[in-house]
Amino acid sequence: MAEWNAFYQNEEADEEQEEGEESAVNYKVTGRDSLVFLVDASKEMFIKGEDGEPSNFDITMQCVRSVYTSKIISSHRDLVALVFYGTEKSKNPRNSFKHVYVYHDLDEPGAKRVQDVEALRGERGARLAADTMGSGEVSLGDALWCCSNLYSDIKLRLSHKRLMIFTCMDQPHGGDSTKDRQARTKAGDLKETGVVIDLMHLMKPGGFDVSLFFCDIVSPPEDESELGLQVEPCGKLDDLQKRVQAKQQKKRAMARVNLCLGEGMNVAVGVYANAVTARKPSAIRLYRETNEPVHSKTRTFHTQTGSLLLPSETRKAQVYGNRQIVMEKDEVDTIKKFYDPEIFLIGFKPMEKLKLHHHIRPSVLLYPEEQQVTGSSCVFAALLKKCTEKKVFAVCRYTPRRNYPPRFVALVPQREEVDESNVQVTPPGFNAIFLPFADDIRKLDTPQFPTASDVQVDKMKEIITKMRFKYRSDAFENPVIQQHYRNLEALALDMLAPESIEDFIMPKVEQIDRRLGPLVDEFKELVYPASYNPDSKPAAKRKTADAGGGDEKKPKVEIPEAELRAHIKNGTLGKLTVPVLKEACKQFGIRTTGTKKQELMDALIAQMAK
Amino acid sequence: MARAAKSALVLCMDVGFSMSNSPPGEEPPFDQAKKVIQKFVQRQVFSESKDEMALVLFGTDATKNPLDQDGQYQHITVRRQLMAPDFELLEEIENHVRPESQQTDCIFSLVAVGLFIQVKKYDRLNIVLLTDLSTQVSSDNLDVIIGNLGKLGITLQFFFPFPMEEEEHNEEGGGGDGDGDRRGSSRPGVGKGLSREQKQGLEMVRDIMLSLDEDEGLDQVYTFSEAIEQLFMFKHIERRPMAWPCQLTIGSSLSIRIVGYKAVTDEKLKKMWITVDAQTSKRDDVKRETVYCLDDDNETEVQKDDTIQGFRYGSDIVPFSKVDQEQMKYKHDGKCFAVLGFTKHDSIHRHLFMGSQTIKMFAPKDDEHAGVALSALIQALDKLNMVAIVRYAYDRRCNPQVGAAFPCIKQTYECLVYVQLPFMEDLRQFSFPSLENKKFTPSESQLAAVDSLIDSMMLVEEDENGQKEDMYKVHEIPNPAFQRLFQCLHHRAVNPGTPLPTMEQWLKDALERPSAISERCQAPLEEMKRKFPLKAVEKKKELKTGAQIFGKGSAEPDAKKSKVDEEEEEFNLAKISEGNVTSVGSVDPARDFRSLINQKSLPFGEVCQQLTHRIEQLLSNRSTHYYMKCITCIQTFREQSVKLGNADLYNSYLQSLKKSIPNSGLQVFWDLLVQGMISLFIGEEKKEVETEPAVDDAGDVDDLVSVCLNSSALKYLMFVS
Repeated sequence: MAEWNAFYQNEEADEEQEEGEESAVNYKVTGRDSLVFLVDASKEMFIKGEDGEPSNFDITMQCVRSVYTSKIISSHRDLVALVFYGTEKSKNPRNSFKHVYVYHDLDEPGAKRVQDVEALRGERGARLAADTMGSGEVSLGDALWCCSNLYSDIKLRLSHKRLMIFTCMDQPHGGDSTKDRQARTKAGDLKETGVVIDLMHLMKPGGFDVSLFFCDIVSPPEDESELGLQVEPCGKLDDLQKRVQAKQQKKRAMARVNLCLGEGMNVAVGVYANAVTARKPSAIRLYRETNEPVHSKTRTFHTQTGSLLLPSETRKAQVYGNRQIVMEKDEVDTIKKFYDPEIFLIGFKPMEKLKLHHHIRPSVLLYPEEQQVTGSSCVFAALLKKCTEKKVFAVCRYTPRRNYPPRFVALVPQREEVDESNVQVTPPGFNAIFLPFADDIRKLDTPQFPTASDVQVDKMKEIITKMRFKYRSDAFENPVIQQHYRNLEALALDMLAPESIEDFIMPKVEQIDRRLGPLVDEFKELVYPASYNPDSKPAAKRKTADAGGGDEKKPKVEIPEAELRAHIKNGTLGKLTVPVLKEACKQFGIRTTGTKKQELMDALIAQMAK
Repeated sequence: MARAAKSALVLCMDVGFSMSNSPPGEEPPFDQAKKVIQKFVQRQVFSESKDEMALVLFGTDATKNPLDQDGQYQHITVRRQLMAPDFELLEEIENHVRPESQQTDCIFSLVAVGLFIQVKKYDRLNIVLLTDLSTQVSSDNLDVIIGNLGKLGITLQFFFPFPMEEEEHNEEGGGGDGDGDRRGSSRPGVGKGLSREQKQGLEMVRDIMLSLDEDEGLDQVYTFSEAIEQLFMFKHIERRPMAWPCQLTIGSSLSIRIVGYKAVTDEKLKKMWITVDAQTSKRDDVKRETVYCLDDDNETEVQKDDTIQGFRYGSDIVPFSKVDQEQMKYKHDGKCFAVLGFTKHDSIHRHLFMGSQTIKMFAPKDDEHAGVALSALIQALDKLNMVAIVRYAYDRRCNPQVGAAFPCIKQTYECLVYVQLPFMEDLRQFSFPSLENKKFTPSESQLAAVDSLIDSMMLVEEDENGQKEDMYKVHEIPNPAFQRLFQCLHHRAVNPGTPLPTMEQWLKDALERPSAISERCQAPLEEMKRKFPLKAVEKKKELKTGAQIFGKGSAEPDAKKSKVDEEEEEFNLAKISEGNVTSVGSVDPARDFRSLINQKSLPFGEVCQQLTHRIEQLLSNRSTHYYMKCITCIQTFREQSVKLGNADLYNSYLQSLKKSIPNSGLQVFWDLLVQGMISLFIGEEKKEVETEPAVDDAGDVDDLVSVCLNSSALKYLMFVS
């Protein structure tokens, strides 16, 4: 797979570069990504495996569905199409191709489409497919031609074009050399227009031989001598999904900077996110009457004159020590500027010097950018190798952007890892771990307790051993986001109730209890005296998190104006508690949107200064 | 909520006669002490400390304190009562703390301070005294003093221009360790030896401190230079840790009480920039408003109330009201720290840590049983090399997380360290081409070059005792963004209207490669350059910045900055000898003025304005000492103006100064000035070169600026006006 990728990367990188240039002018006008699923619908695809294993067609549909839904969540603006070939019936824009059925043309995936694909799953799905499309003659050439028409019909600018062929037939035309040649030519045309063709080959009795036909169809690896490594066909849904997932996610560098080893020794690297906290998307505003989206405009104007203020007519200010300090906007930017964007090497430290708890934000991955500085990959590979061997990490000063203060990072080497079927599970590169500054570390009073005895520790060891499991970072879905999308799905599809979600981060209490059995009581006997109840609340503290109900209990905390003025004058306003400050705001009729102490204080000071 | 502990601090500074004495070439103790106080107050202002502060001066000509009766407690001035420190206090120090000519018994005065501060209001009261101890101190009431201080719970700190240990080393007969010797020779003020009064004073301080705290009393005695060194940076942000009490649960029936504290977190500044009107600098004059428009040709505005919220589901937009959303959203039981299971430590990848913090979990302070139970868990995890995977929810309003609890065993304590882990949705599983590629595989000699580079750049090394020494501890560097921001804010607050200063040298140095490493890696780096050919690919288009698009205007700060940088390199020597001059100070304004002109970092007019401002300040003191300083300033002003061929500013300043003389009662000064200078106004020199006839009639004052004058005419003029 590595070699295959080598080619894809280069292609992508080129495109990205073009895009990068454009984005410098206007970031938002980059093109859309597009993905066409070209699925074989011949009879062989519908054959079920032994022991009732789902058919290849079924697996493919599940896979397509999951891509649809994940696209909706992660990148809804991407275009996706679903095309079947080898069908009995035909359906395509000009109906010029036989045995090609365009189920979905290139468009943004939506709720309806998810439903459509869902309908093609399982036993019922197979029947539906047979009814609507049927299985017939195969002409991959026509299918590819049809796909190329789909691409050319799109008026939008496409930044990344990918086509995935799902089939279990290594000789789709049964040796018909004319059709084979036709398919090759069409594939060549497509590739010329920048479409990357992937093969997602599925299980076939007797094995799938890529070299018979498909090696000429798919986008070839750069180095002819080493044919694609991924010769094993996919049998399992998991595998297929993983492969599709890995291909369809397009890498976007967060930044491209120089890794500066010293004066005149700059290695170009791309900075990629390892993981980004997925959040619920922000709401969009709709006009009540028509449900059409509205856009917002923000303007700044002068309160007295009512005239609009240009950015140059405002300045920035902060208040410290009872004084407003005013700066120009570009001064505010200059203050943030320390260095030009770069990763500057300070030195190396042994791995054990990297402290586990020194964590302030998710790490990023560095990978060389040969296109920017030739020779980068070689230096990078050598550094990676030596750092791994010597068990050291590099300490660097990282400035990601202009007018951005530096942070220090630990560059931890990561060697490439592949699984049994040669799919890359860990990419090679340096993980940049962000290191805390002195300000980020808090001083704690550490209480001291007697350490547990060996008996106690051993009992806990038994408990731990009973509850062992293999952690996988992709094992936990975010219940909050999942629930949100299920809700949207239900509303979009007029379902009665949203599909229920499984909360993967809920402890399986019953199972745990059953596994542990008497161990829990034995441990409790060892550590807790009979009278001790860890569940009893130390003191009846009121729950602050509980909304409602607590209102009447809150004492009215009013503060005389004179006292307030004195506090402001002496700069001791901060000594008042938030409720008192809120009350004071109410008292003087100040409308505060903020709940933060600082905001309340600022509002009060502003009011009193009038 | 518990009442925040109140503490107060009284800064007592000796401004008496002896403080401004110093051997030639050394900074007088007065200036040093003033710097210490300024730096200290600055730090307090920017850390928004709630501690209150008072300023008391000893040895003032006047007397102003609550105990001023019957000639007692004379020459003590309370400049500021206890209150939160602010810029007013800083200005007061800058402008009103100046050397005066009286002397007081400092130790005795301390007692006075102790008496008129209302101690009871505060949980902690600290008195800081900065003095050179040159006055006669009476040891009569020492016991009473010590007794009173102890009773009131007052702590003391002393700052002297000389180190305390000096005497001890002498007594030890040269047996002092290297440290002491180094100190002795490098610290200013020591060389001249101490006077009898100083020795006596020291003796008393020693008595007091040791009787207040037998063991560590003397740790609270510092030298001025030590203090300046320690105060050079702005204070770290300190946040009081918030306890998060919860229960760690394993299954339904095993729970352990725990308390969590944020241990490491990406700290942000509390204050944000607010937008103010450029002319009035008032926040209220600026209002922001958001309007909503339809996507039609007219961009028809619609009222906010006429909009509802919706979400995108792929190509569909689904209207979804807030009420419905609240109703249907994922809900959970609130606060929780529940174990899902245990897993091998090495299956948790460091590079997949999420969130912006780590939390340390301890047992509650008063709960020993919880302590033992938690200890059993921590020890067991550590021995098995495993971690707990937990569900963590801060409270009901917050989204639950999945995370790992690592065992952490230190010498003095044990705890669990919690870090958030990713959800499936968060992961970006990119694959990258392998680097094990023939094209990129480094050769043996290339690898050897990298090897020696790494060896030469190791930041952690074993010293002769086998102790590992880390010479670059990132977690001890203060966040440069905060330091720089405070530096600039402070500068702007104190010197409004002047450009921002350059970054402080210590900060620059702290962010650079240690010099030892830079030297050591030179050769390996050269080798690397030879072994690895690197070639930047020509880019078709350079990154367009706003500056390039919008023209020069917005590019200015950058250009200016790089210019400053260049200048700095050029004037490196000057900088070393003069320190980093960023504005005209009060100590040696003439010198500052000259170096600022040389640096060219500020416009000429700007620097002149600073200088004249300073002169006005000095003149307001009405003392001969200051008059001389001002005359030097004016001479320098003249000399530099002539050098730059720009006399207008000088002449017009002198003009206005002259006009103001009769009203301000500075005739004495003016006389001195006239005596001290060959010619006052620029233009007089020209007379000597050019053969133009001198203007005889100098009656018209306004002509002075541009017309050549002879000095007699000038003198005449002076008396006329």
